[in-house]
Amino acid sequence: MTESPSEVPAAPVAVGIAERYGEMVGALSTSGDFATPRIRVSPESWVDTHRTLKEHLPFFSFLSAIHWSTEVAVGDPPEEEVEERFEVFTRLSDVSKGEGVIISTDISKDDPRLPTLVGVFGGANWHEREAHEMFGIVFDGHPNLELLYLPEGFEGYPLRKTFPLLSREVKPWPGTVDVEDMPSTENVEAGEETGEVEGE
Amino acid sequence: MSDQHLLAMHHSEVQVSVELETPDVTLNLGPQHPSTHGVLRLVAKVDGEVINEVEPVIGYMHRGYEKLAEVRTYPQIVALVSRIDWVSGYASEVPLMVAVERLMEIDPPARAQHIRLVLTEMARISSHLVFLSSYPLELGAATPLMHSLRERERVLDLIEMVTGGRFHPNFNRVGGVKPAAGAGSDQKKVVQDLPEGFSQQTLAAMDDVIGVCDDMEDLVLGNEIFVERTRGVGIIPTDLALEYGVSGPNLRASGVMFDIRKTDDYLPYDRFDFDIPTGENGDCFDRYHVRLQEIRQAARIIRQAIETMPEGDLQAKVPRIIKVPKGETYVRAENPKGEMGYHVVSEGGRGPYRLKIRSASFSNLSVLPWLLKGQLVPDVIAILGSLDFVLGDVDR
Amino acid sequence: MTALFDSFWPLLVLKVLVIAAVIPGVALVFIFAELKISAHMQSRIGPYFAGGRWGWAQPLADGLKFMQKEDLVPEDADRPVFKLAPMIVLMGTLAVFVIVPFSPKLIVRDLDVGVFYALAAGSVTTIGVLMAGWSSANKYSLMGGLRAGAQLIAYELPLILAVVGVVIQAGTMSMNGIVAAQIEPVFHLGDFAIRLPFLLQGQVIGFAIFMIAALAELNRTPFDMPIAESELVMGYLTEYSGIRFTMFFLAEYAGMFSMSAIAATLFLGGYYLPGVPAGALDWLGPLILMGKVTLLVFIIIWLRWTFPRLREDQLQSLAWRWLIPLALANIAVTAVAKVVF
Repeated sequence: MTESPSEVPAAPVAVGIAERYGEMVGALSTSGDFATPRIRVSPESWVDTHRTLKEHLPFFSFLSAIHWSTEVAVGDPPEEEVEERFEVFTRLSDVSKGEGVIISTDISKDDPRLPTLVGVFGGANWHEREAHEMFGIVFDGHPNLELLYLPEGFEGYPLRKTFPLLSREVKPWPGTVDVEDMPSTENVEAGEETGEVEGE
Repeated sequence: MSDQHLLAMHHSEVQVSVELETPDVTLNLGPQHPSTHGVLRLVAKVDGEVINEVEPVIGYMHRGYEKLAEVRTYPQIVALVSRIDWVSGYASEVPLMVAVERLMEIDPPARAQHIRLVLTEMARISSHLVFLSSYPLELGAATPLMHSLRERERVLDLIEMVTGGRFHPNFNRVGGVKPAAGAGSDQKKVVQDLPEGFSQQTLAAMDDVIGVCDDMEDLVLGNEIFVERTRGVGIIPTDLALEYGVSGPNLRASGVMFDIRKTDDYLPYDRFDFDIPTGENGDCFDRYHVRLQEIRQAARIIRQAIETMPEGDLQAKVPRIIKVPKGETYVRAENPKGEMGYHVVSEGGRGPYRLKIRSASFSNLSVLPWLLKGQLVPDVIAILGSLDFVLGDVDR
Repeated sequence: MTALFDSFWPLLVLKVLVIAAVIPGVALVFIFAELKISAHMQSRIGPYFAGGRWGWAQPLADGLKFMQKEDLVPEDADRPVFKLAPMIVLMGTLAVFVIVPFSPKLIVRDLDVGVFYALAAGSVTTIGVLMAGWSSANKYSLMGGLRAGAQLIAYELPLILAVVGVVIQAGTMSMNGIVAAQIEPVFHLGDFAIRLPFLLQGQVIGFAIFMIAALAELNRTPFDMPIAESELVMGYLTEYSGIRFTMFFLAEYAGMFSMSAIAATLFLGGYYLPGVPAGALDWLGPLILMGKVTLLVFIIIWLRWTFPRLREDQLQSLAWRWLIPLALANIAVTAVAKVVF
């Protein structure tokens, strides 16, 4: 059969999940686009949100951040203007049905601080260290906010949009030009003779 | 001897040395060390043979994938990500492609999905066979290495037959898998499907793989010394595992029956029949046992998939230049090492605005300071090996 | 010529030279055997190129390679101790061969306290190992040396106690005397005398304990925690290279030979095989002994490649809680049986 058998979880399902958990914690907004339930909370309720959701979603998947900025040093800038800020997001999920939510919050670009989640989820320790060294976000109360990946004495915050990549400065990006045409996408029966075919 | 009894004996020995006031020795395990699976450095404060505190130092292999992804188009990123977890290269590419396809609202054809599934399960077998062979070597038994790797060569040959690469296949495309091009200049543009004989060879190889699983079960799991070294060693309690994000066989060995293949549908696993092996105690023995059983289940899935492979296209119709509309999505997969996920933030460009890679070994390794406290030095090697991490996965 | 064989000192010098030359040669053969046997157990071929298709010249090539290596002593190491350690280990191992009976006449010196001397000389290697671990100025070596010291001391006792059982049964500590005791018929079936080696005369547990303790004394898997390649790099051997490493290496294989030879003599009947006339024993004896030794060496190699290694505390608990009580029980039973029967 040629029609695709798999279906992404329908958007209504994701929206329902997001709304259910969003209600528990008084979220600012929820969304379920592209089968990804997301809720947005305020920085002040960051730790409480996670504490409340820990009972239902005990698996701590990751914590990371996004630096939203219209001016970018590398890559393509966003199509529309974005407000410059940091967005910290985590993902929690459960281990019975596999439901998961992405919890995100926006913090200011000038003084990016957020209370630490180490008290609620021990696993946040290394993730917050990584977010700190890559973005410069300070997590108040973290026991050991040292560099994780980067060598000692590294200056700058690599994943910020203002941080350039040296290789891109030196050589322009060849980008999207494919060097040769893609093969035809018509299907060929396996094993059929197609001229001089070598091998099996 | 029960675990509590053993633990009590350890504690009493530690107390005696405290009274004698022997100072701690700071022992540096690595970064160059035969058993740390790559460049991992453990700074351990050791008292005789007991470890009081350990601090892992990672980042020796940090290659900046997330920053690199911001300057590449999606098809170019596929070549990058199979190098994250280099033991099971193919399995790392799939969730990224599913994420992009989800954002572009493209459905890959059924045949492409089956091929992706077969190759992912072969990557799982390959990764677990590496574990089955290298773990007894760290404990001192050198022979299982040779036997397991011999069978792994069969699987790698199969992957090479289809994709052209053993470890870094770079075989996925947005909307399906890459149609293999023929050989020679006039064949370059002609599409070829799976090579002939692939199905028979795969089924034969699966028989051999199951044979080596049986061998390992008898020779390694039945060996008293192996059991002594691994039973009750390195127990990860369930709530700790969940808090730290430990996933994959490590989590299942601690008794949690959770497999992303059953709950998410990034690939059509719901058409196939397979079990989820779990362990009871969460010790090193269970982790070995779970991975061994997972190889059997993977072989089972591959057999079913090969026998029910649908006909069809290998790739859906996609535009020449892939531009992904604005949106964010997170897709995760059950990689051999655990949960691997990609959070793609797209602002309508040819590449992602931000790509967050959630790698399994990073979370698996973060539980190490807790896990190694109070253990003996030889047990450190046993525990490290049983977590089955790869430094490329930890450091990205 | 016979005058040469009668006077004491030239004969002694000759015998010592023979030992010093032959034993390393035999050790080389055992090294090659280990390479090939382990390879075939692992679906490999093993040495293939050196010396033609069988690769028999591999150990020779390795020996030559080691001899031309640079003489490295770590800067912080304790130089005299560092240099002396491998020599002590090798000498301790070679000294055991003084009492190994290759035939009723072919023995360097049939001491009255033969077995006692062998065990004592063999224990000198422990000091060499501790010296090596200490003087290397390397934390890993120190840990390996301490582990080795603890292990060797712990397994001395079961080794000695297992031998005591045999001594009680034979009534003498001299090696030739022990073989003679095994030559004596146990009982007669009509005119046919049944002679049994001590293994079959009830020393099964003693044999098992002796072999296990011998493996531990040789630092071989499953007791190679001190060397523990995958953990401590090479343990107390880490800083040794070149000729010094060769001395340790030879000492290990010579030790395998000597332990197997002692086990073969004590438990398997030594150079005697029933049905061989006494006159032929003089030249057939060495072959018989080597046959038994080869069998035991094969078992030792086989065990190395099959088992993972025991952890240090498991190793110690095996020695102190299992082997020593068993050996003591063995002695008690043997003594009672000797008196009663």
